[in-house]
Amino acid sequence: MLGSQTRISSSNEIKFDFVLFSAISLLVIIGLTAIYSSTLNHPTAGGNFAKQLFWVVGSFIIFFITFFLHSRTFHYLAIPAYLFSLVLLVAVMFMGKTVYGAKSWLDLGPVGFQPSEFAKIGTILLLASYLGREKTNLDNLGDKLVALAIGFVPVALILLEPDMGTSLVFLFIITVMLYWKGLSLFLIFFFISPLFSVLSFMFGYYVFGTVLIIILLVLISFKKGILISSFVFVMNVGAGFFFDFFYKALKPHQQKRIDSFLDPYADPLGAGYNAIQAKVAIGSGGFLGKGFLNGNQTQLQYIPEQWTDFIFCVIGEEFGFIGSVITISLFLIIFLRLLKLASSIRERNEFASMIVVGIFALLFVHFIINIGMTVGIMPVIGVPLPFVSYGGSSLLVNVFLMGIVVNIYRNKK
Amino acid sequence: MTIKNIFSSSDLKRTLLFTVVIGFFTLIVLQLFRMQILNQKFYDVKSAENSIKGLVQSPLRGAFLDRNLKVVVGNKPSYTVFITPSNYQRKYDTIIETVLGVDSGYIGKILNLNKKYSKFVPVRIKRDISFDMIAWIEENRDKLPGVNFQVEMEREYPDSIIASHMFGYIKEVSRRQLEEDAYYNMGDFIGNNGVEKTYEKYLRGTKGVKYVLVDSKRKEIGRYKNGELDINSIKGEDLVLTIDAGAQRVAEKAFIGKKGALVAIEPSTGEVLAFVSSPQYDLRHFTTVTPKEIWRQLNTDPDKPLFNRATLSIYPPGSTYKMLGAIAALEEGIITPESRIHCAGGYHFGRFFKCHGGSHGPIDVITSIEKSCNTFYYSLIMKMGLEVWSDYGRRFGFGQKTGLDITEERQGILPNTEWYNKRYGKNGWTKGFIVSLGIGQGELSVTPTQLAQYTALIANNGKSKKPHMVKGYLDSQTKKIVPFKFEDIDTKISQKTFDVVKEGMFKVIHGAGTARSAKLPNVTMAGKTGTSQNPHGKDHAWFVAFAPYENPKIAIAVLVENVGYGGTHAAPIARDVIKEYMKNFPEYNEQNIEKKKNLEGKIVRISNAN
Repeated sequence: MLGSQTRISSSNEIKFDFVLFSAISLLVIIGLTAIYSSTLNHPTAGGNFAKQLFWVVGSFIIFFITFFLHSRTFHYLAIPAYLFSLVLLVAVMFMGKTVYGAKSWLDLGPVGFQPSEFAKIGTILLLASYLGREKTNLDNLGDKLVALAIGFVPVALILLEPDMGTSLVFLFIITVMLYWKGLSLFLIFFFISPLFSVLSFMFGYYVFGTVLIIILLVLISFKKGILISSFVFVMNVGAGFFFDFFYKALKPHQQKRIDSFLDPYADPLGAGYNAIQAKVAIGSGGFLGKGFLNGNQTQLQYIPEQWTDFIFCVIGEEFGFIGSVITISLFLIIFLRLLKLASSIRERNEFASMIVVGIFALLFVHFIINIGMTVGIMPVIGVPLPFVSYGGSSLLVNVFLMGIVVNIYRNKK
Repeated sequence: MTIKNIFSSSDLKRTLLFTVVIGFFTLIVLQLFRMQILNQKFYDVKSAENSIKGLVQSPLRGAFLDRNLKVVVGNKPSYTVFITPSNYQRKYDTIIETVLGVDSGYIGKILNLNKKYSKFVPVRIKRDISFDMIAWIEENRDKLPGVNFQVEMEREYPDSIIASHMFGYIKEVSRRQLEEDAYYNMGDFIGNNGVEKTYEKYLRGTKGVKYVLVDSKRKEIGRYKNGELDINSIKGEDLVLTIDAGAQRVAEKAFIGKKGALVAIEPSTGEVLAFVSSPQYDLRHFTTVTPKEIWRQLNTDPDKPLFNRATLSIYPPGSTYKMLGAIAALEEGIITPESRIHCAGGYHFGRFFKCHGGSHGPIDVITSIEKSCNTFYYSLIMKMGLEVWSDYGRRFGFGQKTGLDITEERQGILPNTEWYNKRYGKNGWTKGFIVSLGIGQGELSVTPTQLAQYTALIANNGKSKKPHMVKGYLDSQTKKIVPFKFEDIDTKISQKTFDVVKEGMFKVIHGAGTARSAKLPNVTMAGKTGTSQNPHGKDHAWFVAFAPYENPKIAIAVLVENVGYGGTHAAPIARDVIKEYMKNFPEYNEQNIEKKKNLEGKIVRISNAN
């Protein structure tokens, strides 16, 4: 009782989430350190540290601007941001620059930028706005379809680039947001399981069989009745075989495109090499690490373009187990704080709650895919580590999203 | 309660997501613990292996020796300036450029080209710098961080012979060559033409490796395992060439100021004894990176010094081809050694084809060679027909590459029916087209090398080996020659035929023939002059010969461009080269003149009896 009175009396003060801000800032500093180390002796990437520093300054300016915006702003922003995202995603198909096999970059004079990064903002805002409406009810088929459409239109456009990693990121965000709103786990399973069937089919009958058994067990635990359960199961079997049939009917060069879509690093020298050298870098770092600028894996450039997706290796090698655990702990703090905020404002401001959950999902999926691939528990899929990896548009978008979070925190009652 | 209900209640949604987050966090920490604490040793070894750098040790390139085992192409040390970009300060560009005597901006350009390599790796700036420059760098060592020099080997030509088109030169590998053959590294040399190119695999040797440890700055911090695993480079094979430096020197001297070519072959083996294409170029300009100025000069020179006239220029052989007509006619029974053909100063077929020097009257085949009668050979080709004539040409290697062991060679033109059909259409030509082929004019085109091979085959009675410039290589252990194998050539023509034709060639020099000026006092010789009609200017002079007549040791073909008659301009060159070469055989020195005179008398008697 006393506590709540204190809060009311101090409502003129500006509430600022220092914990979250500190965690982000530390991650950005760790990132800058690692970028400096990995590009210092590199013949062509020497200027990357300065470029990133420029982006950091820009991003934090935007962070504070966002922090002070009126809380309704994001409501009004949702639809325009989403539509603008779609326009950019279409534009990139026509005038995009191809990087690593995906036509995903728009060149705007001195700076290049990925529309799919911007589309993350648009999609999270619009989906949150729709799901945050009081009358939206996901038990209603129409509402369900609209929500899915909002999510899947950008996914489809990104698949056309084709950018596998980013599509997965979007799917994860949409799924978590729908779950937060109340879409039943069974329905999520209904939509997601065929994807696993198709993917597992690519790895041969044993993997496919194992996945089908898991699907069967999950279906039984849902206790949905024999009819629906068998339908879902047959759908999964069918999806796998249909894809195989479809794949075999393609011409070799089209098959190759699908192969490289499933595994962007399909060429053996690339795939194995990076994964092995990344593990060697981290493993050899030991408990305390080899010290700043002393990692021979990093300094001798054994991992190509290490300052982007493989940035975590620099931390692992030069700052060891201690440095690595500190880094992922900062992420843990951010994730738990986001979830806590989302559930605390859920009753009063569902829109804001949905945004925060969407942002959580975005950061978390990047984190899992990126760290997972560097430490060798996930296949190699090229996504950056938020706040840490080199790359302007990714940093800007992530810090801007955090600006939205601190804005929501400021306005929460 | 179903799973759905448990996880859909509001608090539990949060709990589920919390669980997922903490689950993944734990999984990653465990994996990091496994890698960085439990398996740290394993990864550390792997990472240390990455710090071992193998430094390539370039082998010495094989040398060239002449047939008397005299070194004609060797190696000598030279100094190369290197700059290590990480330590270097660009403000010194100008002063170093001035000392090296290069254009301003030279260093910047080279450093830019090497930008994609680590800046701790030294960049080669200029090869073959003078001792003065080395002294200067040494003196200013403290003020010029990152500037260094190293000893590298370059080609050296210790003998006074040039032989540019035979030896060929080496060049820095191109980007394409780097991709095609994993042997080469940036800045390596590769044979570009001539023997240097053909025998590249023997000459280049085997690279060695020196293993060193580098720190994270790529700086060397010591040998790896004290050099136990190092591999020494192995010098390339020393090639023993077939040329005779003496004969080559004389040939080159004779060609100064003339355009043309000379090829001398040992008839029994096909070994090339001398090989000149004139004008030559100075191989010493090619020992390192050739300056642009030299390239421009060589490429714009109207005399085309880079062009190998001995194997690439094709001209009608003129009267030197008459022996071929005679051989074909004798072998096919169209004539006998006694048959006479009447020369009334020319030949009628559609039009009048002129002989020279008035009319020769009724003459036999030997005299026809001696006097170089055209009428005789117009008549022969019309009697035997194009196909027979062409077939014999093929047996002597015309219309095809000789397979000489340098790659730059043309096949020339040996027309037959099919060739004419292709060229003029099936009905576009008549038999009249082939008359002048009989005297080695018209479309027939040969290289000096082909003509030398033909002379060698006549000298050795139709049998030899493909012409070649390299005998083999010197085994580094035993110092013995390991010979290369070369294909046999057999024209399958009878000894009788050759006897007759060779006697005609003997008389060209020792009788009343067209090249009496080529006669040597102590060596018998047989030969034939020729003139290649040149519609663009003065005719080209040909001369072919072999010596000694009774036991040929050298066969030779000489071409001198744009000078006119072969007997006057080409024959003396052949004579001088033969004279020089015969010094290798003491039995043909001055004391043996008597013996030779007796023989000459005997032959004159034989021919008179006929």
